[in-house]
Amino acid sequence: MRDKKFKLTLCDGTSCIHNQSKALQQALQAELQRHNLTEAVSVHLSGCLGMCSKGPILIVNPGYILYGRVRVEDIPEIVESHLVHNKAVTRLIITEDHLYNRFFRIFGDVDFFGKQMRIALRNCGIIDPENIDDYLSLRGYEALAKALETMTPQQVIAEVKQSGLRGRGGAGFPSGLKWEFTANQDGDEKYVICNADEGDPGAFMDRSAIEGDPHTVLEGMLIAGYAIGASKGIIYIRAEYPLAIKRLEKAIVAAREHGLLGEKILGSDFSFDIEIRLGAGAFVCGEETALIHSIEGHRGMPRPRPPYPSVVGLFGKPTLINNVETWASIPVIILDGANWFGTVGTETSKGTKVFAVAGRVHNTGLVEVPMGTTLREIIYDICGGIPGGRAFKAVQTGGPSGGCLPEAYLDTEIDYESLAKAGSIMGSGGMIVIDEDSCMVSLARFFLEFTQDESCGKCTPCREGTKRMYEILTRISEGNGQDGDIEKLERLGKMIQRSSLCGLGQSAPNPVLSTLKNFRDEYEEHIQSKTCRAGQCAALLSYTVNEKCVGCGACRRVCPVDAVEGTRKEMHRILQDKCIRCGQCYDACKFDAITKA
Amino acid sequence: MLTPLQAIKKKRAEAVNRIVSKGYLSTKRVYVGMATCEIAAGSKEVMEVFRQAIAKGLTDIYLSQKGCAGRCNLEPTVEVVEEGNIPVKYGRVTPQRAREIVERHLKKGEVITEWVI
Amino acid sequence: MSEKIPIFINDKEYNVEPNQTIMQAADTLGFKIPRLCYHPKLSIEGACRVCIVEVEGQRNFVASCAFPVSPGMKIKTNTHAVRRARRDIVELIVDNHPMDCHTCERDGNCELQRLAAATGIRARHFEGQRKRYDEDLSSVSVIRNPEKCILCGRCVRMCSEKQQVHNLTQAHRGFNTVVMPAYDLPMAESVCTACGQCINVCPTAAFLEKNYTQELFEQLNGTDTVKVVQFAPSVRAAIGEAFNLPPQNMEGQLVAALRKLGFDYVFDTQFSADLTIMEEASEFLERFQNKGKLPMITSCSSAWMKCLEQFYPDLIDNVSTCKSPMSMQGAMTKTYFADKMGIDPKKIYSVATMCCTAKKYEAARPELMFDGMRGVDVVVTTREIAWMIKSAGIDFVNIEPEKADHPLGLSSGAGAIFGATGGVMEAAIRTAYELYTGQTLVDIEVEGVRGLKGIKEGSLKMDGHDIRVAVAHGLGNACKLLDVVRKDPDRYHFIEIMGCPGGCVGGGGQPYAAINTIPLDDEALTQRAKALYDLDRGKTIRRSHDNPDVQKLYKEFLQHPLSPVSHKYLHTHYKAKLPVGIIPKDAKNFEVK
Repeated sequence: MRDKKFKLTLCDGTSCIHNQSKALQQALQAELQRHNLTEAVSVHLSGCLGMCSKGPILIVNPGYILYGRVRVEDIPEIVESHLVHNKAVTRLIITEDHLYNRFFRIFGDVDFFGKQMRIALRNCGIIDPENIDDYLSLRGYEALAKALETMTPQQVIAEVKQSGLRGRGGAGFPSGLKWEFTANQDGDEKYVICNADEGDPGAFMDRSAIEGDPHTVLEGMLIAGYAIGASKGIIYIRAEYPLAIKRLEKAIVAAREHGLLGEKILGSDFSFDIEIRLGAGAFVCGEETALIHSIEGHRGMPRPRPPYPSVVGLFGKPTLINNVETWASIPVIILDGANWFGTVGTETSKGTKVFAVAGRVHNTGLVEVPMGTTLREIIYDICGGIPGGRAFKAVQTGGPSGGCLPEAYLDTEIDYESLAKAGSIMGSGGMIVIDEDSCMVSLARFFLEFTQDESCGKCTPCREGTKRMYEILTRISEGNGQDGDIEKLERLGKMIQRSSLCGLGQSAPNPVLSTLKNFRDEYEEHIQSKTCRAGQCAALLSYTVNEKCVGCGACRRVCPVDAVEGTRKEMHRILQDKCIRCGQCYDACKFDAITKA
Repeated sequence: MLTPLQAIKKKRAEAVNRIVSKGYLSTKRVYVGMATCEIAAGSKEVMEVFRQAIAKGLTDIYLSQKGCAGRCNLEPTVEVVEEGNIPVKYGRVTPQRAREIVERHLKKGEVITEWVI
Repeated sequence: MSEKIPIFINDKEYNVEPNQTIMQAADTLGFKIPRLCYHPKLSIEGACRVCIVEVEGQRNFVASCAFPVSPGMKIKTNTHAVRRARRDIVELIVDNHPMDCHTCERDGNCELQRLAAATGIRARHFEGQRKRYDEDLSSVSVIRNPEKCILCGRCVRMCSEKQQVHNLTQAHRGFNTVVMPAYDLPMAESVCTACGQCINVCPTAAFLEKNYTQELFEQLNGTDTVKVVQFAPSVRAAIGEAFNLPPQNMEGQLVAALRKLGFDYVFDTQFSADLTIMEEASEFLERFQNKGKLPMITSCSSAWMKCLEQFYPDLIDNVSTCKSPMSMQGAMTKTYFADKMGIDPKKIYSVATMCCTAKKYEAARPELMFDGMRGVDVVVTTREIAWMIKSAGIDFVNIEPEKADHPLGLSSGAGAIFGATGGVMEAAIRTAYELYTGQTLVDIEVEGVRGLKGIKEGSLKMDGHDIRVAVAHGLGNACKLLDVVRKDPDRYHFIEIMGCPGGCVGGGGQPYAAINTIPLDDEALTQRAKALYDLDRGKTIRRSHDNPDVQKLYKEFLQHPLSPVSHKYLHTHYKAKLPVGIIPKDAKNFEVK
């Protein structure tokens, strides 16, 4: 694409085909040929872009200029004006678009954003997050005003229920139901909590969302406060996010100044205020009951549910907890309607999901895609595939509590059910791509090291069991694996999944169980033949000198334990019983004369 | 007494006026990514280059910060929007590159294509 | 009562009360689901996961202690999967526990041991690293051994929910989780009130009393001291449980056994309970008549006194200046008794057998010393003395009962009921009424202050004056009551506070719960209290001031209640203590360590 001057994307969804997008294609090709532009312009067809009422849609990149209701007779003008003279045809540009579409106008970055759809992050990277005017200018707080003026609390809840939105924190509980349960509780005092205690290593969805657009979180919470009859909101955010905290504080002050928080909001009878509580960085405090304990000033430990926080929550009062991404989606649902939101995503999972993609891909970063996008699309189309020509091995979804999926699952359409079926979880949206250079035993061990360390220590399976699994994995990766270790891992893992008190424990064995399921042969190799095919488990490696050796002595000089012997200009030798497998000789050799196996 | 929707529309109009009065309708708008990740990649220094340039007399520029767009491996990012033209987004902007963007793009109107994402 | 609902346990249908947990329902049906962290008096922790069961429709096992029953619920308590998971969970606990049962104080009395046997752990599959911690031996009362802790959290809940001392908490994470006082302070420097309730609820030996039995055996073998022992009211009510007997009064057997152990004189702390009433009732009337500080609060409970000094220093003037019966007895032993017998008080080795761990702490308090001596040299708990009796080979169950020695061994019924919550109040009322009105109180069994209700209130007419009293047992209830007093100081005239649930009968030094009983359950506490009330009812002398030996003591030595001699030996003072890490509002009134 980089050698092309323009990239055109034509919507080719069913609805648009009905609206003659085929005819448009032909007209476009003809017109490009007429202007001799076929070399400079590429034309792509896309699936439904979710804007069928405005279809057919033509997107011109760079710039993501969106032309709507394009007719065959408009094509010459578009080609002439936009592609030849670089002037957009303003009369065709979609202006009254859905909130989420706005980013198309500003991102010229088609590789990365082509398949994305931004709802929760719709303003991120577009507005100045520290200026409420920017948010207000883009229909900010209009959803709140709409709810207050035209909807009863019951209607707001009905809208959220109808939208099919599910909690983005991990478990995917239908948000509308949660709202309804909390609303149905009697009580003079109720709380709305935003869970911004993002603890997964490598995940930064919530931080980014708050840093890029703090007001949308406030607006979502305000709408919920109105819907369930709460007057107090709390944002629980980890103290390691100083900039996000600063921007939230600024946003709260600005919202108060504008009468958007506090007494009688926008002249209505609804009063609501929000305060920030800082978490001290315990992974388990992302679990809702532990989070509530932490806000109450206790040690952050989960408690058995039921009763759920919607019945007995903060300070014993009914409490509605959602995570940042969920809150950020609420204004869009209220403004654009549940019906529209329901057109995005799959049968059971509506809307979009933000993923933090890391690991072995070209474009690491934050992506927001409609539910139903495949893993392959995210990894290869959006993130540009795996660098260095190496082979894809697995993708870990759902952070440290998620599972590892091999290539066979790449065409899995992401939603809560399909990921669970594949043996992983949606989680909060971490996604780590792994190539052939990674050892799956080490990977499982790495994640388990994290979860067993972050266990709150309350329930036995998680506290003791994950430790034992970690010990077994450690001995396997150190070449001390024994017969029966795989069975022990499975037995412990399944017991921990089914017996632990909270979601952290229940999901902690996932990385181990999913790698055991999909990469069992690697475990067996480690145990039986004491080899690590990825060459990652240091204890299982051996270094030998091959015939390329010129006898320069570089390896002998760097060896910290004098395990290399040999005379100058003659082939050297590594004493295996002395070698500690540190790999320094391998790095020092300039002649590729040391073999690592 | 305004209804909530009337009130928010009034607020929006006021907000737009305030933005415009700060020079939003300038020929070129420059947005610098300023999330934690971008700052860690050096965007504060980049922002400073643009601030300095304006302080030293560069006119007709509307400078603003923005949040993270998710382009982690290309941060810091700087976006130059010109009314009527296609927006330009630069990646991996160092202070040095920022100075060149000031000289070549903002002053002379030249898009530095090799840095465009 | 609400309509019963049908549930299925192991495929059989039962009708049970709604609004209860699976465990509660199963208990009523005779299914005792194995459990560990659960305790009926504490909040539901759901931590150990031993009580998991399968419920149809639930993806995971559920903790039966926490999960409510619902109509038609299908529960399986004993499937292969759940039995194996339960077994593995218990093994995981055992794997991280010292394997030193033979040398452990809780051997034979350990809930983990029983559970391991019940779940059938015969081999260990998952052994690995085991936690290592040093014992905290700093406290004279309660020692903490985190290595034996299985993190059930009962002690933490007891300390915070029931006692509201909030000394113990879980610290650190994951495998490194450990129960400790705030800031990992040694127990001796922490806000621990030494009540010992953590010991009572601990399923293993993570908490124990500081053991003085070896020292005591050595002293008993010595020849150059006169060995004198006293025993508290509730020791006699509970010691039988250590010999697999139900709670009952074993006063005579205890006296006989103590003599057999080698004590020269066996006295009864109930004597000094009567003495305490003489002083305390007089002090109350003195305050009442001369507009002294009211409400007056009792000072018998040592854990409560430390709680007061730390958390309610503003109420110190409200507390009676009387020493506890144990300390009064100690003082009288080394003065009146020594003098009477012509023994050098320095040669007296004064031992107290108490239901209490905090008494060990009390005995060491410097403000209780007189003439350069401690009234009590060593305190042993009911558990310790029971062990000594067993260890010395004394056949406690079949021993011929004996009577305590004079002049400090005779007691009224009022002295006996000191061991149950409300007892001190009841005894004080019996005497104060007569001292004030000059008339004998006929109806002396004050039902209103008896029983296990957390806070009991009552009022009494004395010569037209309405005397309002309140009784609290357990430090948590005490704190609730005192918070009321802080807001409304005129609400009560006289308050009795006992630090332990049920009063001294539920003390931190009482025998461990036997197999299939629950530590500190209401049934056991009620039975122990009943033994004391029966003892009272069986006595002809039931008012402290009628105790002839007490009358003789005043005549020969103390002159009259609140006399200067009394003040020297029977009264003391208390001082605010600043808990480490807590910054008081008014710092100058505090003693900063």
